[in-house]
Parts: sequence; structure tokens; C-alpha cells
Amino acid sequence: MLEKEKLNKYAENLEFKINEKEYETLQNEFDILLKQVEIISKIEGIKDYEPLDFPFPLENSYLREDKTNMKISREDALKNASETKNNCISVPKVVE
Amino acid sequence: MNITEIREKLDKKEISIEELYEKTKEHAKKSQEKLNAFVTITEKCEHIESNSPLNGIPYSLKDNISTKGILTTGSSNILKNYVPIYDSTVYKKLKESGAVLIGKTVLDELAMGGSGVTGHTGIVKNPWDQSRIAGGSSAGSAVSVSEGIVPFSIGSDTGDSVRKPASYCGVVGFKPTYGRISRFGLFPFASSLDHIGIFAKNVQDVALVTDIVKGFDEHDMTTLPDEEIKYIDEIKKEMKGKTLFYIKEIIESASTEESKEVIKIFKEQITKLKDNGIKIEEVSFNKQLLESLYPTYFIISCAEATSNNSNLTGFIFGNREKGNTPKEVMINTRTNGFSEMIKRRFIIGSYILERENQEKLFLNAKRVRRIVVEKLNELFKKYDGLILPAGSIAPKINTNEEADRLGEDYLILENHLVMGNFGGYPSITMPMGYVKNMPVGINLTCAAKEDALCLNIASQIEKIIGIKDNKKGDEKDV
Repeated sequence: MLEKEKLNKYAENLEFKINEKEYETLQNEFDILLKQVEIISKIEGIKDYEPLDFPFPLENSYLREDKTNMKISREDALKNASETKNNCISVPKVVE
Repeated sequence: MNITEIREKLDKKEISIEELYEKTKEHAKKSQEKLNAFVTITEKCEHIESNSPLNGIPYSLKDNISTKGILTTGSSNILKNYVPIYDSTVYKKLKESGAVLIGKTVLDELAMGGSGVTGHTGIVKNPWDQSRIAGGSSAGSAVSVSEGIVPFSIGSDTGDSVRKPASYCGVVGFKPTYGRISRFGLFPFASSLDHIGIFAKNVQDVALVTDIVKGFDEHDMTTLPDEEIKYIDEIKKEMKGKTLFYIKEIIESASTEESKEVIKIFKEQITKLKDNGIKIEEVSFNKQLLESLYPTYFIISCAEATSNNSNLTGFIFGNREKGNTPKEVMINTRTNGFSEMIKRRFIIGSYILERENQEKLFLNAKRVRRIVVEKLNELFKKYDGLILPAGSIAPKINTNEEADRLGEDYLILENHLVMGNFGGYPSITMPMGYVKNMPVGINLTCAAKEDALCLNIASQIEKIIGIKDNKKGDEKDV
């Protein structure tokens, strides 16, 4: 079983908090996952295979022209920010 | 009504595009209390005149597909106020074809889930039985077609998120080859598995819509080069001597009374298809590999999702919470913005991606993906397609259980559709019968890039099975 401290560390790195009930479900889920991982590891000859990243080799291997193909206006860029100031997105003070 | 029937009414001027929009909008609004398929219902008939067969046809779009100026939430609290500043390619193409957007449909939060119960605006209910789930993640899209509100809808499919709800709701759901439809503007879940897909009342309508939305897109480097063919013409071509296969171990895995009923119907339909000239053979597949399908999907998708969603901080967009420091703002935003299910998936994704776990979890899962895909590619050299039940019937809504929790059972029959995403194969679900008055679907999957073949065989299967334009009963005539 994965310890609560360890799970808490992951949550911290992911920038969110989890509560007691969430720990419990998560620990159960990890137990199942780790059992299933064991089954995967035992598949005959698994190490002989290269990992598959995409369904098939992608055909568009070229680089596009080094030209702007999409622009957004300053107004649009700020539209979804909940706090803005002087045409910038504002956040609480970073440096004390 | 299907697209052809509505087209005819519009062409004969029995109804105008405006009138059709108003009627459809009213139907959508009226259905909300009962089914909860929509996050947003549009207020105005936005229509661009065109010569396309979709001109004036109403449709719905899953709420994880960007629409400039229209709220797009991903059915998550963290994006509950997000209004995109650009159009997704699929929406742009539909707009240019004259199709009219009725609304944005509810999904499982950020498309992670298969039930339709985890969206931030509440549970989506199955039109065939409101005590049952619609399936997910494209729950609202499936329901909007099943209920007869719109003749087609656009969803996304990372594991089976178009093809499973299509089965549960008695409609057709098609996921073309990976890259056939641009994903530009789709909120990414697991980019190596994500596909855009289409719901409609029949195979012909699905082919028609795919013709409009497919094609190369410079904004999505994974899109395939254009094919100079129209699927709507391809499905009409007579094709004889096609051979399909089904996987013995998947059929034999049915364990519940309901799933055994599904298998019975499947076998009856197989006999019917054989009687009508389609060759179908039984093939054996390594059971250990089949049992590894869902864990493999879970590992790859959680890992990719964790990385893809790290931009949801609340600073540039999204529902920002208060805090005294930027870190506090981010923690409060993400803690309150994500549901428990999402947080669990991200923690598991983080664990999988940790250096010491990568080999055993992430890379081994990707190796299983290769083994499965290589085996299927080999089978597709001999056979034209894989035919299987899409799953069992829609389960009852259970509000006491944590949504979309990883289960101890392997449930091969319920999870085999992920093979379609592993290999990026074109894959389509169609209605094949009823169990306990609930629709059940049959699924056809073909080799990658053989979309025309897949739709052609599906069209033949639909004719032979004889369930087309499935009606639930509440459907209103235009």
C-alpha cells in the first residue's frame, strides 16, 4: 500500500490538496493498479518489444514554415484572465 | 429524424432554417430537466449559407471542443467560465458547411470517464431509461441524438467515449482513423489516443458528416493527408466477399445475465450476417493480453492526462480562486476546480511518470500497446474487420459509488474497444438489438486508414440487421 505521506507529496507537486476520503479511495485504486501492473510485467517476451508511442508512424514529419500562422490580440489574450492590470494579467506579489 | 429527412423538408421549404432552429432549441431546453444533455444551449441561429448537404442542419458539440465566444467548460469547475478565443477546426468546418450549432453537450469531467455522471452540471440520463447512465465520456452528445433533438453530434473518443455511449443510447457512433479529423481545439486528454468522433442516426449520416469534417490541418501535425474520396459515395459501392473475425475469449468473458443476453443477440446477428454473404470466423487471442487492455489504457491515459492538464492553473484562463501568493492561488484553484476523480487520475499519472516507475508502468504499458497493435495489424492482413459486441447494457446510475474508479474485475467485454484507440483504427458502433428494453450495439473495427471500407461494411451490416434510425419514442417531428 502506498503511504499517505507519499500520496500527499504527489498532490503537493500537482498543486492541489486531497482530503481523508480521497486518500482512502486512492489507496484502494493504487492497490488494484499495482496488482494489474504485475500481470502486465509477466507477459511473455514483453521486454523484447519497443514501446509504442502513437498508433502508427506519423506521415507529417516536415517542419512547417517558420512564419506566424496564428495570432491572438492582446484583448483576446486577456479575455479569460480573472484579474488584469495595465494590459497584463495580474497575480499576487511573487517576490516578498 | 435523420439528416436526409430534415434536408428534404428544408429543400422543399416545408420549414425554414430559422424555424427549424427555434423548434430544435425548444426541444433541447425541454429535455434538460429530464436528461441534462447540455451545458449550454445557444440563443441565436448562427448560420452561414452554403451548398453543403449540412446547410441548415442542427447539431450539438461536446463541451471540450473550442467554440470562439461560446462557453466551453470541459464539464469541469476549473473551466466553468472559460470562453475560447479561437475555433476548433471541426467547429470551423461545420460552421462553413452551414450546419447550425444548437448546444454544447455535457461530458464526464475533462473527458475522463465512461459514465456521464461526473460533469460539473450534473448527471446525464439515458433517454431509454432515466434510471440508467448514458455512458461517456460523450454522454450529452449521444443523448442529444438518441432523444431526437439533433440528427448528429460531435464527440471525442480516447478509450471508447463515442462508441460506448452510442451503444448504450441506441445510435451510431463512429471514430475514424487517428488523424482523419483534426484535433485542433479539442481539449487534450491523452493525445496519443484522442480522436474526434461522430454520432448520428445511421451509417449514411455518419459518412456524410465525416466527409465534411475530415482532412489535413496545418494546426494539427497528426492529421492525415487528404483522401480524394467521399465516404458517402464509398458506402454505396457494392462490396462482396468480405471476411470478418470475432475474438472467442471476449465473447466467452460474458459473466452476468445481461451480458449473456447480449452475446446471444450477437450470435444471432452473426448468423444473419453469414446468411447474407459476409464470411465471419472465430479467432483466438491471448487472454492475458485482453486482461491487460484496461490497465494499459489506464496507465497511458493517466500519464498523458497529468501532463496535458498542467496548464489549468487559473492564471491565464479558468476559474481562479483567491490566495495570498501565486502558489496559494494555484493550489486553491486546482483543489476546488477538480473533482476527486480527476485528482486521483493525476496522482496516479504522476506516480506512473516518476523516474523509478516509468520502466515498469509507463513503458511496459506502451509495450503491451505495441503487442496488441502488431497482433491486430497481422489479423487485418487476413480479415477485413473485427466484429464484436460493443459491451453490455447501460448500468443503473449509482450515486453511492465513487465515479469511474478503477475496478478489480477485468471486464474484457466492457473494455475491449480501447484496442481501436491503441491502433488508431476506424471503429463504428451500431444498434444490434435490445436487452431489458435497452439498446445494445455491435462494433466493427478495421485496419488503420481503411475508413471507407469500415463505413461500407458497416452500411451492409446495418441493412442486414435492419435497425436504422432507432427511435426511442419521445422523438418530435419537425
